[in-house]
Amino acid sequence: MELRTSSAVIAFAQKCETESAQFYEGAASRFTDLALTFRGFAKENAQNVQAIKRAYYSVISDALETGFSFKNLPSESYAVEADFAPDAGPAQLLKIAIENETRIEQFYLQAAKTSQALMADLSRVFKRLAAAREKRNSFLLPHLERVLGPQGG
Amino acid sequence: MDVARLQNYIDGEWVEAQTGEYSDVVNPARGELLARVPLSSSTDIDRAVKSCARAFAQWRNTPPSARARYLFRLKELMEDRFDELAEVQTREHGKTIDESRGETRRGIEQVEVATGVPTLMQGYNLEDIASGIDEHCFFQPIGVFSHIAPFNFPFMVPLWFIPYAIAAGNTFVVKPSPRVPLSQTRVIELFEQADFPPGVVNMVHGANEATNAILHHPEVAGVTFVGSTAVGRDIIYKTCGQTGKRVIAQCGAKNFIVLMEDCDLEKSMAGLMTSFFGNTGQRCLAGANLVVVGGDSFYKKAVDAFIEAAAAIRVGDGMDESVQMGPLQNAQSKERVLGYIEKGVKEGATLALDGRNLKIADPNLPQDCFLNPSVFVDLTPEMTLAREEIFGPVAGILRAANIDRAISMIHDNPYGNAAAIYTSSGQAAQRFRHDVKCGNIGINIGIPAPVAFFPFGGMKDSFFGTLHGQGKDAIRFFTEAKVVVERWF
Repeated sequence: MELRTSSAVIAFAQKCETESAQFYEGAASRFTDLALTFRGFAKENAQNVQAIKRAYYSVISDALETGFSFKNLPSESYAVEADFAPDAGPAQLLKIAIENETRIEQFYLQAAKTSQALMADLSRVFKRLAAAREKRNSFLLPHLERVLGPQGG
Repeated sequence: MDVARLQNYIDGEWVEAQTGEYSDVVNPARGELLARVPLSSSTDIDRAVKSCARAFAQWRNTPPSARARYLFRLKELMEDRFDELAEVQTREHGKTIDESRGETRRGIEQVEVATGVPTLMQGYNLEDIASGIDEHCFFQPIGVFSHIAPFNFPFMVPLWFIPYAIAAGNTFVVKPSPRVPLSQTRVIELFEQADFPPGVVNMVHGANEATNAILHHPEVAGVTFVGSTAVGRDIIYKTCGQTGKRVIAQCGAKNFIVLMEDCDLEKSMAGLMTSFFGNTGQRCLAGANLVVVGGDSFYKKAVDAFIEAAAAIRVGDGMDESVQMGPLQNAQSKERVLGYIEKGVKEGATLALDGRNLKIADPNLPQDCFLNPSVFVDLTPEMTLAREEIFGPVAGILRAANIDRAISMIHDNPYGNAAAIYTSSGQAAQRFRHDVKCGNIGINIGIPAPVAFFPFGGMKDSFFGTLHGQGKDAIRFFTEAKVVVERWF
């Protein structure tokens, strides 16, 4: 579905953060090397939801373009994988994590871009969260490479 | 089915109205009956006003900083129940949940600003106006004020007035619109929880009888009203003049949005859609006439873009977060708008987008109150559609050869509530801001709604009174200047 209103974008962002947190909570018990990091990510996701909500509820005004501030945001393109196969190994978990982070980053970047002139406070939060996602991937990628080994798996 | 029968709030108690007359409060998106509201009698108003008058003696002597603390508590309660307050608005009014949350924020902002009363209400003085003589000016509360509320912003509009009036030491009777009484009922419950002394704020539900009782009550010092020009000018303003009451009457509008050829059309479109179709066109700051200034190719480009964007608006139940425009507030409103669409067609305007072709997000919803956006093109200023307030999702597009002609179109219209210009020219914007006789001007802003620190403007047939609502103007309206000239022997 095309996300066009502020409330739909906020709700979708919350869903992504929550599902991503669920994934990390589950993955933490399967991948002990990164358990602490994954649990930290899950906790951070909850803080991200708060940051988005705080920005939205602080600046929302019926006089601004809340219903029309976003475009080119089909929710299907940014859906997050919360589940994984029961026998998923570290490589698979890391791949899902990286894909999720990439999707969320792309979602935040697009949301920030379209709302920049109209809902600037939200746009700023989205940009910050996108940058944090990129940082997570910079951390996760070397782990994936390490797990896959020199032959790439 | 058991449906709540609403009560009045008088002297710190929830009480039955002295009436047998009730009307239905209906969710316009779903057709469900939400509550029954009493159409209170003049006896109910009299009880409420007398309660206010009793409370005034003590409340006016409560220090402003102590009065402000009650408002801080109220603000916190509102923040805690933010989403609940927004959902009530969407259910009873039909607006989208984003719009309701926006309305909630803007309402709370009024309470925030009113907490500044210890500074807002300060007077001034001058020593030695003559040798050994000093002069002081104090601003003092006046007594009992009242607000007669409209249906289009059931939460926010009464808060343009109540917080300032009571912060300044007055007491207050609010009469919500009987079409949307639930939001204000919830607000009054929060006043009760904030522990305001009995009688400082009373609420009486009702319609014409209650309104007349407020206007004629000798103990009411002033009335604030937001609604149509016909009622605001011919009934509220005139009666208050006759009965010696202060008055703020914020009335109807027909707002022009001028689109200059040098505007950023793509970036402007979201603002234009919000302006014309936000709140389903039921706002006094809504864009109504889009005046395109430029050559043929720009006119075509602008019209095409506007129609394409309007046609893409998702219409449905405002509780659905994907919906961009809710229903009209009731079936009578829809009938009224339909009447204008038919009149426009009869007068020869071109209906380029016909909102009567319903396309609702959930087709199972009852269709009594829904309309999709309509756009008329090639309108001329003399046509009814270009002159009268429609208060619905109908846009008219006109052409002007230059900014002078656009401004003269605005001035030929009897209303003067708001006007906006979309341009990248500072010179055009400055000219527009300076010359246009409207109380609220937008520059690349489609809804120039003043925030709580600023007065809510309005001129010509859009405003009757002297001082405006919100901010310092409101504090001045709710206080009387007293000058003391002082000498000590």
